[in-house]
Amino acid sequence: ELPRPYPNEIPHNEKLLSLKYESLDYDNSENQLFLEEERRINHAAFRTVEIKRWVICAMIGILTGLVACFIDIVVENLAGLKYRVVKDNIDKFTEKGGLSFSLLLWATLNASVVMVGSVIVAFVEPVAAGSGIPQIKCYLNGVKIPHVVRLKTLVIKVCGVILSVVGGLAVGKEGPMIHSGAVIAAGISQGRSTSLKRDFKIFEYFRRDTEKRDFVSAGAAAGVSAAFGAPVGGVLFSLEEGASFWNQFLTWRIFFASMISTFTLNSVLSVYHGNPWDLSSPGLINFGRFDNEKMGYTIQEIPIFIFMGVVGGILGALFNALNYWLTMFRIRYIHRPCLQVIEAMLVAAVTAAVGFVMIYCSRDCQPIQGSSVAYPLQAVGLALFPCFLPTPGSYNPMTLGMFTLMYFFLACWTYGLTVSAGVFIPSLLIGAAWGRLFGISLSYLAKGSIWADPGKYALMGAAAQLGGIVRMTLSLTVIMMEATGNVTYGFPIMLVLMTAKIVGDYFVEGLYDMHIQLQSVPFLHWEAPVTSHSLTAREVMSTPVTCLRRIERVGTVVDILSDTSSNHNGFPVVESNPNTTQVAGLRGLILRSQLIVLGLVPPQVFVERANLNLVQRRLKLKDFRDAYPRFPPIQSIHVSQDERECMIDLSEFMNPTPYTVPQEASLPRVFKLFRALGLRHLVVVNNHNEVVGMVTRKDLARYRLGKEGLEELSLAQT
Amino acid sequence: MAPLRSQLLLLPALALAIGSASWAGLSRSLLTQYGDIARAVGNSSESHNCAKSILTSDRLQVVVTLSAFFNDTWEAANCANCIKNNSEELSNSTQEFMDLFNKSLTCFEHNLQGQAMDLSPNNYTEVCKNCNGTYKNLSDLYNKLQRLNRHGDESGHSAHLCIDVEDAMNITRKLWSRTFNCSVPCSDTVPVIAVSSFILFLPIVFYLSSFLHSKQKKRILILPKRIQSNASLVNIQEKYS
Repeated sequence: ELPRPYPNEIPHNEKLLSLKYESLDYDNSENQLFLEEERRINHAAFRTVEIKRWVICAMIGILTGLVACFIDIVVENLAGLKYRVVKDNIDKFTEKGGLSFSLLLWATLNASVVMVGSVIVAFVEPVAAGSGIPQIKCYLNGVKIPHVVRLKTLVIKVCGVILSVVGGLAVGKEGPMIHSGAVIAAGISQGRSTSLKRDFKIFEYFRRDTEKRDFVSAGAAAGVSAAFGAPVGGVLFSLEEGASFWNQFLTWRIFFASMISTFTLNSVLSVYHGNPWDLSSPGLINFGRFDNEKMGYTIQEIPIFIFMGVVGGILGALFNALNYWLTMFRIRYIHRPCLQVIEAMLVAAVTAAVGFVMIYCSRDCQPIQGSSVAYPLQAVGLALFPCFLPTPGSYNPMTLGMFTLMYFFLACWTYGLTVSAGVFIPSLLIGAAWGRLFGISLSYLAKGSIWADPGKYALMGAAAQLGGIVRMTLSLTVIMMEATGNVTYGFPIMLVLMTAKIVGDYFVEGLYDMHIQLQSVPFLHWEAPVTSHSLTAREVMSTPVTCLRRIERVGTVVDILSDTSSNHNGFPVVESNPNTTQVAGLRGLILRSQLIVLGLVPPQVFVERANLNLVQRRLKLKDFRDAYPRFPPIQSIHVSQDERECMIDLSEFMNPTPYTVPQEASLPRVFKLFRALGLRHLVVVNNHNEVVGMVTRKDLARYRLGKEGLEELSLAQT
Repeated sequence: MAPLRSQLLLLPALALAIGSASWAGLSRSLLTQYGDIARAVGNSSESHNCAKSILTSDRLQVVVTLSAFFNDTWEAANCANCIKNNSEELSNSTQEFMDLFNKSLTCFEHNLQGQAMDLSPNNYTEVCKNCNGTYKNLSDLYNKLQRLNRHGDESGHSAHLCIDVEDAMNITRKLWSRTFNCSVPCSDTVPVIAVSSFILFLPIVFYLSSFLHSKQKKRILILPKRIQSNASLVNIQEKYS
């Protein structure tokens, strides 16, 4: 019987891979130009290059710290202003009556601020939406997300996060710091700005994907370090995400950048607050001090912590599942920018309303012991309970419970909006609230004995909830250890996070991984799916492959590049065989970007058919570096009819030693080679070194271990 | 030596216990007691050997600890805010506030005394009516002091007034609202609930309308160019059938 026709259009789901995501060119193209340059650079110049790397890392750290300071100071001032306006209004109306006006004012203020924040993200740079951590995870994985490390993205992200936080949404400002750090790193390491059209003519050696990716790892680590005051946590975050392309020198440089970032933030903030060199705020988030003497833990509490981890995992899975349905709905139905802006405004208004009603109904109001830190002004919109403070003050369990519930749903609703915002702080808050509730109930049961201190359980609850939502393990443990300044708590925090991850993974993925899947990014996990040894390269590869001959007609090249039905970026170069019926042996690999530079630089390099070398100007590696990273499309190159008949010799510019794999190689083997070396194209050859197919990222990312076993994702145009 | 130390031990503890926050006189108590200790410690540090032998001669180093405690409490309570520079008197604004505070307390006492014993003890309407003006003046003065304090402060933090003033205001407010029940209860519940329900209703309308009206975003599938066995083709088709 006839099979049904292959369906062409389906509604969006998470089992798709998008064609718009390419890999980074991490693998170096060692063509003749590169080898010549290598021979020219002597030993002393290489040491200069190494010193320049360190200088760039220092600059990354300083600038990331400064940007974090800027965000913090502006948020403090704007949120303080808004808070005062609302508070004065409430005070005025409390006596006279008519508090509903205050509610309207608060909701309108929130909605208008968030409207501005959402408009800049939705209309100017949509990639700046969300927390930025999924995008950076993908970048460190080797996927080129369009526009993710541009200057415009940085500006929109910083302004967006300030407006989201001031607008009272249930969000945090830590995630966007990581994205900002990455953009700063990508920008500085190139020594020029393509957007501003200024070239400072420094750092030209680093203008390729290999170096840029390494600096982006440093930038992400500096961002984590500025956000949490956790330099080692930042290094481990980069390590966890970009582990397969790691080298030890990189670790040391990244650590350097993180340390400088937290030091810069600390010193600038202490000068701003009027206590120069006080150095008491190493990160944007402050957990309070956890003293060993006052709050130790005993071995009997370990099972309690593990139980809290289980609860955190379940609640985190619930959060992720709800957010999944919401995001699916948003992708399918709310895809126009104006609708996204309206949605963000509505969420802001509802957040204000919920906060107002909670303050209105709650009967307990306590002075916060200690200094008047601007915790409420971190614009949660609700009367924020600094649940972390290890104070003996007891909060009313009813109010705390209501707060947890309301904030859980608000945070779940807010993540995924078209605003720049993170999810760390909301998760920590939710966890701290129910952790504290847990601790309070435990101290009732234990009849007030010393060890049932609610502050400690608040910390564990926060770790459990955050672990249940984002499922980060190593880096998160170290971040929390450093942020609380207490190594003793490292062991229970690690147990809690592991438990939360195991329990949560049973139900649904982590939040960031889920969003990566929903965006159809071809993300390569740490290893190939375990049951895939039966698949060989022959079944995985794409075939037939568009090859170029070593000495090729210009017209053929232009036609191949202009072909819109396929978007190839790498072409194997085979031997120019006069006998065209034979499949020729592989000689090299050339990229589309390299071909375009060949066509761009006037005059083009040609070899006349009569073998006269009309080489007027030799191309140098510098020409390729100058065109990086935004190569113009093929349509902008005009080739006259005469030029089309000329021949071009690709031997100098192609990569003469591309990585190849025999067609009988198993999928895990191909996967390991591809991922460990950061390849973009892997040529599949047969016994006679003839090209039979090509493996790219999409071919490998297709295979995933689903619920029923190995499953295959389909490709779609998005 | 011994009498001096015991004096240092007893006096501050007693002073703080008596002049505690509930009497809104912490700064003044600190001033009188702390002043003595500061002088005592200051005098003894004139000659270093003498200072060492007194201050650090015992295991607990009580004097140093207490001196540090007083310093910290002074800073945290922001006592400097209500003391005139370099003297032991209250500043003008603080004095004005304290006078008004005493006036309010006297007004309360006066009106409470006037109640006969046979009246129900919970009837405070007299107090509310007669002392309303004084209480309002006190409240306004407090707000004014807060505003002035905020503007005069350079750093971005919301600085506090001196703890004496804050405690006095808190005591009065507690008496007025909780004990006497004089504050007008908010009859705003209905409008607040109405407005908040309206705001909560808006997103539901929004989502329903976008679900019904927006065109669902569809994805165009692309066939991969591969050596396909028939089995895999059938698999993919089965998934979408």
